[in-house]
Amino acid sequence: MSDELKSIPSLSPAHAAWWREALRNPVFTAAAAFGLVLVLGLIFSGDGAFYKWGTHRDALRQASVYGILACGMTVVIISAGIDLSVGSVLALVAVSFSILSIHWGWSPWVAIPACLAVGTACGAVTGGIIARFAIQPFIVTLSMMVFARGMAKYVSGGMKVSTAVQGADGTYSYVDVPEIFRLIDSRLLGENLSVVSLIFLACVVISWIGLSRLRWGRYIYAIGGNEAAARLSGVPVGAMKVAAYGLAGLFAAVAGICQAAQEQQGDPEAGIAYELSAIAIVVIGGTNLMGGRGGIGLTLLGTLIIGYIEKILSINAVPEANRLMLTGVIIVAAVLIQRRRV
Amino acid sequence: MKARTRTIISMSGLFALCLTVGCERTPHEKVFTIGMSQCNLGEPWRVQMNADVKNAADKHPNIKVIFKDAQNDTLKQRAHIEEFVSAGVGLIIISPKEAAPLTEPVAKAVDAGIPVIVLDRRVLGDKYTCFIGADNKLIGREAGKWIVKKLGGQGKVVELKGLMTSTPGQDRHTGFRAGIEGSQIEVIFEADMKWLEPDARKEMESALARFDEIDLVYAHNDPGAHGAYLAAKAAGRETDIMFVGIDALPHEGVMYVKQGILDATLQYPTGGAEAIDIALKILNGEEVPKEITLGSRIFTTENVEAGGELIGS
Amino acid sequence: MATASVQARPEQQQAENHPLLRMTGISKSFGAIRALKQVDFDLRAGEVHVLAGENGAGKSTLIKILGGVHQPDEGRIHLRGRLLRFHSPREAVAQGVAIIHQELSLVPAMSIADNIFLGHEHTTGGWLRHQDQRQQAGRALKRLGLTADVRQTVGTFPIATQQLIEIAKALALEAEIIVMDEPTSALREPEVERLFACIHDLKVRDCGIIYITHKLEEVYHIADRITVLRDGDHIITARVAELPAAALIRSMVGRDLPESARDATVPAPSGRQVRLAAQGFSVQASRRGLRPLVEGVSLEVRAGEIVGLAGLAGSGNSDLLSALFGVHRGRVAGRAWIDGRPYRPTSPRAAIRRGIALVTNDRQRTGLVLGMNIAANMTLASVARVSPAGWLDFAHEMQLAERVAGDLDLRAASLTQPVATLSGGNQQKVVLGKWLNAQPRVLLLDEPTRGVDVGAKQEIYQLMNRWSRAGHAILLITSELPELLMMSDRIIVMHRGKVVAEFDRAQATQERILHAAMGGAAASSE
Repeated sequence: MSDELKSIPSLSPAHAAWWREALRNPVFTAAAAFGLVLVLGLIFSGDGAFYKWGTHRDALRQASVYGILACGMTVVIISAGIDLSVGSVLALVAVSFSILSIHWGWSPWVAIPACLAVGTACGAVTGGIIARFAIQPFIVTLSMMVFARGMAKYVSGGMKVSTAVQGADGTYSYVDVPEIFRLIDSRLLGENLSVVSLIFLACVVISWIGLSRLRWGRYIYAIGGNEAAARLSGVPVGAMKVAAYGLAGLFAAVAGICQAAQEQQGDPEAGIAYELSAIAIVVIGGTNLMGGRGGIGLTLLGTLIIGYIEKILSINAVPEANRLMLTGVIIVAAVLIQRRRV
Repeated sequence: MKARTRTIISMSGLFALCLTVGCERTPHEKVFTIGMSQCNLGEPWRVQMNADVKNAADKHPNIKVIFKDAQNDTLKQRAHIEEFVSAGVGLIIISPKEAAPLTEPVAKAVDAGIPVIVLDRRVLGDKYTCFIGADNKLIGREAGKWIVKKLGGQGKVVELKGLMTSTPGQDRHTGFRAGIEGSQIEVIFEADMKWLEPDARKEMESALARFDEIDLVYAHNDPGAHGAYLAAKAAGRETDIMFVGIDALPHEGVMYVKQGILDATLQYPTGGAEAIDIALKILNGEEVPKEITLGSRIFTTENVEAGGELIGS
Repeated sequence: MATASVQARPEQQQAENHPLLRMTGISKSFGAIRALKQVDFDLRAGEVHVLAGENGAGKSTLIKILGGVHQPDEGRIHLRGRLLRFHSPREAVAQGVAIIHQELSLVPAMSIADNIFLGHEHTTGGWLRHQDQRQQAGRALKRLGLTADVRQTVGTFPIATQQLIEIAKALALEAEIIVMDEPTSALREPEVERLFACIHDLKVRDCGIIYITHKLEEVYHIADRITVLRDGDHIITARVAELPAAALIRSMVGRDLPESARDATVPAPSGRQVRLAAQGFSVQASRRGLRPLVEGVSLEVRAGEIVGLAGLAGSGNSDLLSALFGVHRGRVAGRAWIDGRPYRPTSPRAAIRRGIALVTNDRQRTGLVLGMNIAANMTLASVARVSPAGWLDFAHEMQLAERVAGDLDLRAASLTQPVATLSGGNQQKVVLGKWLNAQPRVLLLDEPTRGVDVGAKQEIYQLMNRWSRAGHAILLITSELPELLMMSDRIIVMHRGKVVAEFDRAQATQERILHAAMGGAAASSE
């Protein structure tokens, strides 16, 4: 039974109403919060836009990059850590992927693994420093956030890496958008599902398998639940931390590749504040920031909640200031629904 | 405080060193040193501004430009001005992050006898030598007028706005509305996409979902227009809609027009080349006007190969 | 050995007092579980009234009702003759009821003085009167014989001292009814004596003390009366003289329990293989300038042997065990062997690979992951066993957990319930189950029966016997001397990091052990 579905059993199964029991189950409450958002969308449907499938397909696509980041962030948060660097790593990989694919013309079979390696390396370095020197994850990932952003700007020369290639004499020539970019930014199933959404769902599945079916996942929950007890039970805490942050870096790289493909360029300024959105998604989904509990299903629901809130505000052309206030209120409401009494 | 100032100075100095090392040639005889303080090289448009300054300066072996980047930090930019003053440069060019905090350092520089050219964003008062900037209201208005002409006086338009808490965003918006006034153009959907391409794409997707008929998209910058184009393309409606953007960077907006992605883009000139021209005049002791408003060009599919055409009064 | 005398006051004087506290007909249910059924309890001024019962008997529920944490479903509470209802802990404290919980309620990052006055600060118009608080805090500490700087943060003190600070807190609040829930579980002998002296002091001041303990010798040391609860029912209330130990246990458990636990059928260990050996073993302190935690310790434990490691706070016995388990890497010197082969304690993971297990003395902090369920905790030290090729085999895991739960007679509704919901004794069984599943051959046990009820203790003793029969080596630390004497084949006594005495089972007595542990002239065997 996956850890996230464990609920503290009611002391009085005979007397509790079924809904009170269900309220203790975090998956149920997250789904209820999402249901609430959907109802909002049905009411404020933006002249019927909410009833079209395209709107939902787009909402999922728009949320996918954040959702991919949130998958890695979930793992790190369950291990009682935090990773502030994923937005910057996204930018670094977006820039790298664009340079490799557009300017150097590398085949995606080489470019993609190379970029994934870059992201994973950034994460592994962060995890290694955290494990070896016992420095707070906040500080170490903050440093990597700044460093990776700097690397992204350095590698790209401060400009967006686009299909306009500057020659030696300063003039620009234009190359085609690489096939792989078009592929990632395309739709499947008769225009009904974006490839990026599919990639997001694949990340969800991979994380789910890792967290609830693999030995490694059990270790992560143990470390997040009680690191001292885990260490004294022989859990390889250091190696697992490197793996957790490495995975966050890997997912940040996947997100960077998707971002570059959707923008058809590598923007060194991409991903700013994305890590905060990723953290918000994880928390709204119901995973506890203290670590040791939660799961990917909750993150999936959190992504949908945030993605749909944004979409509903967008199709109703709500002015920016109102959007911020409404988002704040809806997020607090969603969290209140999920408050556990135990 | 002392340690922090030391760090700021050494970091700026280090960065300046890196930039100067990165510059191609140092002139054999440096007669005049110009200090250039850019508020944020994170923006590609400002990278272009610095590039324009550099290109113009390279044509004159008797001037050398030192570039400093304030990384969007007002305090760093103040430190730049102070450093330039104490280094005794011949002239300062500054593109300030904000008006109020930088007014006094600029005034002090002028008092110390160093002329200051202010680019693109203003400082308060009039203690500076020359202000060079473009007029976003004018550009917005010209965009509106071109759109009215192109659509024959009526049509459904989506407006994708830049950050509406910034002056360029507000000006490009009010200018546009002034430009379409009196016509039958209807703005059916507007949203703040904060100058970002992914956000513009999201908002355009919502617009496409809501409205079956859209004639034209007016975005406050080219990345926004490009994002809207991608959204329309994914929906298969890019041939039914026209796209207009602003900035017209040669490898971005102009390229998009050449590729047929945008129907028009209006140049938001950086003023970098003009700044060097004016600087030379000042250094040679000539009088220069206090305010120089840069003209703009519009690049459309018809005239892009010819280099666009001038617009504005 | 001099003990503080805690005499019962003359009968007549007690009878003359109206009961300080009277609880009648208290019932409380949590859903379908009836925690208390029509329980009566009264407390006289100047008496120590022991509340006894196994875990789950209802003691802590009764106390929580008195403390204002829960509201009773039925029944009444009279305090000094007045009918009262406590709606919150604050109200209870205001009425002079102080509860000292087993789980300390101190804030580690705050100072002693701040902790003592937490929630009841002395203020003038909103400003804290620090000087005033510090003085009073200092006085409260002195009554307990503690000399400590009241400005120091509580977290820097060992658990034993923290417990005394908790008691000082109750004293400073001028409570008339003081409830002590297992106050000596983390204390060593001299500290216990100090506590008893303090309790005597409180009796003289006419305070009433409700004392909950699992240690039988304490009951007979200080109690005036005993009340026994079992499964929520009030079984008996009697004067201590009227309820000898056997009768007491019978009322608590509902059945008779064996006297001695150590299995005499285990063959003498001498001549068997040496499982664990250490020579010149030393552990440096973590901060510089402090004396070594362990200095030059040499010992041997043979297969099937249980060696008791006695010592007071600061003796280094716990540190020796954790160092052998690889916790203090980098600060350890000396040599060690497991089954004859050299062993370097580098990490817990390495220790487990060599077949060593460490049961720590603080299961909540270092023994269990409270958020995970029972089965997962039971396989935490042997996850590789239940995850071939990295994939978790839940069926196998449940199988192992069920088998071990059966071995240990673990009482839980389901093995997928979170460990946090179990009682102390059952939680300790989960910890032991975890190590059972790791199949160790050398067991380092640090207070394995702390906070565990009588019935579960017996089961743990049986487990230790089984281990010893299987030829494993056990190093045992326990601060309950009777338990130590009962289970150990040999007892090694440590004092300030060094081994100062060694006793065979036959020669060991509580007095000799304590004498050596307190630094008296080494009374070694022959």
